[in-house]
Amino acid sequence: MYLALFLFPWMLMYALSTLVMNHRAYFVERYGTGAIPFEAERAITYDGVFTENADLRTISQQILASLDLDGAHSVNHRKDGSIVINRNDLTTPRRLTYSPTDRTVVIERMVHRPNAFLERFHRRRGYAAGYRLDTIWAVSVDLVIVAMVFWVASGLWMWWEMKVTRRLGLSALILGAATFGFYLMTL
Amino acid sequence: MTFAHLNRRVHLYLGLALLPWFFMYGISSIPFAHTPFFDARDAARKLPLWTLRMDRPIDMDVPGPEAPVTEQRAFGAALLSAAGIEGTSFGVYRQSDSQINVYSYSFWNSAQLKYFIPEKRFTVEDRRFRWDHFLTGMHARGGFENESALARSWSIVVDLVSVAMIVWIASGLYMWWGLPGHRRWGWIAILAGTMSFLVFTWRL
Repeated sequence: MYLALFLFPWMLMYALSTLVMNHRAYFVERYGTGAIPFEAERAITYDGVFTENADLRTISQQILASLDLDGAHSVNHRKDGSIVINRNDLTTPRRLTYSPTDRTVVIERMVHRPNAFLERFHRRRGYAAGYRLDTIWAVSVDLVIVAMVFWVASGLWMWWEMKVTRRLGLSALILGAATFGFYLMTL
Repeated sequence: MTFAHLNRRVHLYLGLALLPWFFMYGISSIPFAHTPFFDARDAARKLPLWTLRMDRPIDMDVPGPEAPVTEQRAFGAALLSAAGIEGTSFGVYRQSDSQINVYSYSFWNSAQLKYFIPEKRFTVEDRRFRWDHFLTGMHARGGFENESALARSWSIVVDLVSVAMIVWIASGLYMWWGLPGHRRWGWIAILAGTMSFLVFTWRL
């Protein structure tokens, strides 16, 4: 019970985001196809100095830290020499474009869409981001997985302990398992 | 029957009927959460993921990039038919100006078809079965884009499971509140969970 009470925000988020993802066609109709657009936030001149032979990751971390935006991100080099940092912020994803020639950083934020926010939450996982908070989040996702398997086992045990519900419960269980088995064979 | 009784029964029977889905979503989250581990394990086997089944010329009317989804899907269905693939779910994706990909998917088999527009040629590749892909494929399955009634009925069940999760939360909270001896520790668990979640929302 306490595990469920602790994890209820995660379960609510996964339920709502699944509904949104299952009805993606509705949102495509509403917002159109293609990537979510970015809108300009600000542009600054970057005064920082990079160490010689600094790799892309070092540069991106230094820029993000100086703007108080450090966190999970990806970085790549454009053909024109500019460096593009995609900061995977849950609420406000940002794109930072650093031009070494004029030392400017253009900061853009992704247009807010509630369905995209939920989808980002749903998809956030893994231990590869290299940031402590992301690792803790990944642990919490693992905890949700363990909890879901535990709830299945403990739920079955609690049901079996209530003799009065065994008959109807078994019917529900068989109906569900048969339907699932049917989908497994045919889909 | 009191509301408390009804609440307990709904919580229980809904849980038992949807147990296979709930269990599947739990188990299939493992390969999603630990993708590098499963990929490295598979890479060590040194087996190709895709095997070419067919490579042949075919002249087809190609829908433009701005064509409606129905036209794109009709093209995908025609290409699948030419490859002898029937009855699977599929998606159509314009890879570039010169290539359209069609992904055909069932729980047990997947194939990708590539149509090369200038060459009027297409290839069919089968994906090797992997248990982690089987689970993640089942996890990610949903949406109402596919025309098949069976595929749509699965998506309705996905909706049902999502709504059931909200019902379990609400009915669970109601049951907890009915146990005065557990309120104090329950509040602590709720507050700790909510606060942690808000920190993640704010800082991630």
